[in-house]
Amino acid sequence: MTTIYRPISDPLEYDTFGCHPFENDPATPDRTTRQVFLRRQVADWNVDMKDGSQLQFWGFKDPDVSGSDSPWPSKLIRVKQGQVFHCEFKPTKGAHTIHWHGIEPTPMNDGVGHTSFEVKSSYVYQWCAHQAGTYLYHCHKNTVLHFEMGMYGVLIVDPLTKNPDTKNPNYLYDPVAGDVPSAITPGAPYSAESILVFDDVDPVWHKLDHNAGMCGDDVGLDKFNPTYFLINGVHNGRTQTDTRTVTRMTAGRHLLLRVANASYSRLHITLPFNCYIVEVDGRPLRTNRPKGWFSAPEYKAAGSKLEVGVAQRYAIWAPEVPRGDHQIIGNFHHWITNKRHFDGTAIAKIVAL
Amino acid sequence: MRRREFLKYGSAMAAFATVSTSLPAILSAQTSEDAPTGEKADFDLEIVDVDVELIDGSVVPMYAFAPTGKTASIPGPILRVTQGDTVRIDIRNSSTRPHGFQIVGQSNAVVSGLAPADGDGEDKTRIEFVATKPGTYFYVDGDNSPINRVLGLYGALIVEPKNGYADGAAKKKPMPYAPGAATPAMKSLFTALGEATIDGKPARFPGKPWQKEREYVWIFNQIDPVMCRRIGGGELVTPAEFESQFHPRYFTINGLCGLDSAHDKATCPTGRAGEPALIRCMNAGLATHSPHIHGNHVFVLTESNKNGLPVYQTSLNEHDVWTMPPMMIKDVLLPFTTPPDVPPAPWRMVQEKYPLRYPMHCHNEISQTSAGGSYPMGLVTDWHIDGPVATS
Ligand SMILES: [Cu+2]
Ligand SMILES: [Cu+2]
Repeated sequence: MTTIYRPISDPLEYDTFGCHPFENDPATPDRTTRQVFLRRQVADWNVDMKDGSQLQFWGFKDPDVSGSDSPWPSKLIRVKQGQVFHCEFKPTKGAHTIHWHGIEPTPMNDGVGHTSFEVKSSYVYQWCAHQAGTYLYHCHKNTVLHFEMGMYGVLIVDPLTKNPDTKNPNYLYDPVAGDVPSAITPGAPYSAESILVFDDVDPVWHKLDHNAGMCGDDVGLDKFNPTYFLINGVHNGRTQTDTRTVTRMTAGRHLLLRVANASYSRLHITLPFNCYIVEVDGRPLRTNRPKGWFSAPEYKAAGSKLEVGVAQRYAIWAPEVPRGDHQIIGNFHHWITNKRHFDGTAIAKIVAL
Repeated sequence: MRRREFLKYGSAMAAFATVSTSLPAILSAQTSEDAPTGEKADFDLEIVDVDVELIDGSVVPMYAFAPTGKTASIPGPILRVTQGDTVRIDIRNSSTRPHGFQIVGQSNAVVSGLAPADGDGEDKTRIEFVATKPGTYFYVDGDNSPINRVLGLYGALIVEPKNGYADGAAKKKPMPYAPGAATPAMKSLFTALGEATIDGKPARFPGKPWQKEREYVWIFNQIDPVMCRRIGGGELVTPAEFESQFHPRYFTINGLCGLDSAHDKATCPTGRAGEPALIRCMNAGLATHSPHIHGNHVFVLTESNKNGLPVYQTSLNEHDVWTMPPMMIKDVLLPFTTPPDVPPAPWRMVQEKYPLRYPMHCHNEISQTSAGGSYPMGLVTDWHIDGPVATS
């Protein structure tokens, strides 16, 4: 019988690539003047699950805000397009990183261990957001485990412009000259915003060590059997009543719904109103020749379904939301069988009065 | 001794380390030399039983395609044809089990129930069809689905356009699709590549237009060693049983796990800023992957329908994560732009290390494992930007 050999290319690199990533505390390369500065540290805390049990989660805390430094997911970061951003990261509890998911800086500021370094005790990340949209930030050390353990938050880049329409004062992105007219109002103006991050939790994983599995030991990171399903850290028994997952707005105004999938499941969302997909993964869907976009908003009639892939973000624009309660239904499906998980539904709500 | 134990107990292995050119690299080179330029494209393929060494040194029985008389590989060799070619593929089953062969998305391109060859070298079966729509297709053993496919019998058929230019008679903007069938958005994107300004304003893609050689194929798969050994050992496993018990422990791109795929020239896109690359992305396995690329977003150009035919997209959405359910094929364009969120500064930046290295990994992070641990030995590779914007 023929053997297909896979000779090891470099044992030393095999070791550092997975098992012992490079740790360092370098000065920020090509450091420049900043407009935004914030700090992050690593913390852990317990979160109540649906059955009353508590599980440990890890995340990023803001040392400059006392008392409110341990929400999960980690605190929302909002910056404006064009701002030079600095984040001083002091991990503690071993090396970690912050990857600015969807933001595209240099490799040293990208927060990936095997292409740069893991932060040993302190590093200042630097980037400049060139495009308004919806992003995430998360730890990229032993990512399999740390992302599941909750080390993530939402990052939003807002445009510079305010809409003159005071009833819908915020834009998703700056409308600029050359935008080809489409079905939506350019810039997707809105008065109310709902940010929903869906996640699933396998309690077995929440008892593991930070470095579990990194050196090839079989700790079962290829087995993920979620039993809890949450939105914004709220378990699915409460998502229709909790203020973190219910958005109140004035009927007849425009809503911007930002959805992200932080689970390891296929997430199928049902949309309750006529709406448009106006942004995916931090890129608005519009056509503007010099700016070089080649896409258009996509109409979704009430009742439409949308699959949000793991770590994808979608921004959905619902103009003139009708009076009433509107359910955003998320169904979590197994990544291999595509069967819905037991209890794998979480519903958020928009209340338009 | 397992490979990871070698590593724990010292670096004695280093003395034996050699530079190895990967099989996908060799085979894609061979097939491009063999690529037909006329009206007929002839291929000769054999199905064989193989033992496959995995990244941790363990070995599992699988199946593989081989150009007849040549080295077997998983995935099989890239079959490259031109639109309008009459494609002939001769298949011989040299495995100990029955097999089949199928080009998904092409009619008259299915055979099944091929008995093991008796060794006289004459028992070939031929399929013949005319390649029509440019794009990326799967060839697989469709028998016993999905077992034979997931156990290694999959590969890519690429149909290139007869005359693929986005800018008509000027012929300065090559495009991997026929202009008559490509959507306006596709033509507009390939026309914009290499333009420093558009309508007198700075544009997004200074550098070069896309070039035919700037192409990569990424085929994802998952390996369940328990299933491989059960089936290799002669146990009769039904497809339903296989699907319900499938528990992958290795996740591959072009048959390679992370460290190897990051070093494989045919897998790791490299180039300067302004040298866009086409990535033909395919998922041969059973898991739904969520490939996530750092450093640049990709434009999704095509998406295969349930019959395996490429659907040219009318809206080219830019993604940093794109979804890849089983048997999905997406052609995506990696623009190789200067990473857009680097603060305004002279390029190249003085203190940053070069080349700029970025990862691409599946964000369904379970796939970053191999054998239950070990990020990033799983479904991950790199891509590199070697230098500032290339000018044509
Ligand atoms: Cu971490
Ligand atoms: Cu990420």
